[in-house]
Amino acid sequence: MSGTSGRAAGALEREVLASLAAAGRPLTAGEVLADLGGALAYTTVMTTLSRLHAKGVLGRQTAGRAYAYALATPLDALPASLTANRMRRLLDAQDDRASVLASFVAHLDEDDERLLADLIDGRTRPADGERR
Amino acid sequence: MSLAMGLPLAASAVLWLAGAPLGRRLPPETAVRLLTIVALVTALATGFVLAVAAFLAVAALPPVAALGHWSAAALRAGGAVPITVGVVAGLAVAVLLAAALWRATRSALDLASAAWTCRRLGPGAGGLVVVEDDHPDAYALPGLGGRVVVSTAMMRVLPADERRVLLAHEQAHLAHRHYLYLQLAGLAAAANPLLRPLSAAVQAGVERWADEAAATEVGDRHLVARALARAGLAQATALRTSSSPASALRGAHDGVAARARALLTDPPRPRRALSGALLLLIVATAGAAALTAHDTEHRFERAQAVYAITAN
Repeated sequence: MSGTSGRAAGALEREVLASLAAAGRPLTAGEVLADLGGALAYTTVMTTLSRLHAKGVLGRQTAGRAYAYALATPLDALPASLTANRMRRLLDAQDDRASVLASFVAHLDEDDERLLADLIDGRTRPADGERR
Repeated sequence: MSLAMGLPLAASAVLWLAGAPLGRRLPPETAVRLLTIVALVTALATGFVLAVAAFLAVAALPPVAALGHWSAAALRAGGAVPITVGVVAGLAVAVLLAAALWRATRSALDLASAAWTCRRLGPGAGGLVVVEDDHPDAYALPGLGGRVVVSTAMMRVLPADERRVLLAHEQAHLAHRHYLYLQLAGLAAAANPLLRPLSAAVQAGVERWADEAAATEVGDRHLVARALARAGLAQATALRTSSSPASALRGAHDGVAARARALLTDPPRPRRALSGALLLLIVATAGAAALTAHDTEHRFERAQAVYAITAN
């Protein structure tokens, strides 16, 4: 495995793909690096991008002297989207059964929403006080 | 009915009351592992002693005893099971067994169709599949090593460090095979409805486990809480504004706010005494079932011996 800086190669591939999905437009290796930040090396990001391109997960076009990468065209992603959405409907609207899907987040009530909004704004602090 | 036969039933009642608090007090990983085992052992032991009770009651009926070549009187000697108790136990076993089989079948079908979906989705990037969707969504799908599915909308609302949290959380579900614990605990609860709080505790524990795994990965519990908060709010907002059926509104067991709150306090501590007590309960329940099996076998041997003597 050619993973570096504490991340496994698979984890870095996922983060790079997530970064491009979030951007919603083609990004160069430099832009991906700026988004991910941290202790990553430029060449590591570069390698990961070209590997994902070789696998057909990403498309690329020239942008100046560099390549800009984006998710493979929406047309390619369509069957995947349909499959995933059908999966959701099938497996998630289940009565009392444990879903085989593990969602990141689910139901919220209004009090929860207020607490979470405060948390994002930094108004909620650990109970024992984080003000150091 | 002997004391040993009553123990699995008593354990079920205790677990019905203690399921939720146990889930809250034990560290998530311990809770998921131990509670799944305790649920399975208790469900099996309960089903077994109920079946034995039913069998003993029926076997002590004179026509059945004559057919089986054992002495009805000798069978009753070690503590008779009243026929009404036997019939109720028999009916309960039949219904619960059917429920468990039904549940196991549906679990197997769900897992099979999840695996099929994983194949349709392809390998993605390190198992991550992005779908074009305006609804913020993210989930882990078991099968073929598993896939993490995220929507473009969910990726857009999270900054890079919080996306890393989400990916680590979902990856932890797959790496630790959380779906197996969920399905097994669910199966136990189908076979013994008194174990439902335990199954709910396993569901909540799996999310907490993945949260803590993500916190270890990114080295910042506060960051995990913030990622949960942002993703939860984005999803709640999208649900409110969309006219689609709120299929993502599952049971309140998910408790995003409770999970975020847990991350703002100290990391979970091992609870050795509580874990020890649970282990003891597992051993006692399994032991009671084994003792019941041994006693019952012995009782039938004696009843057959008595029958052989009186018949000759």
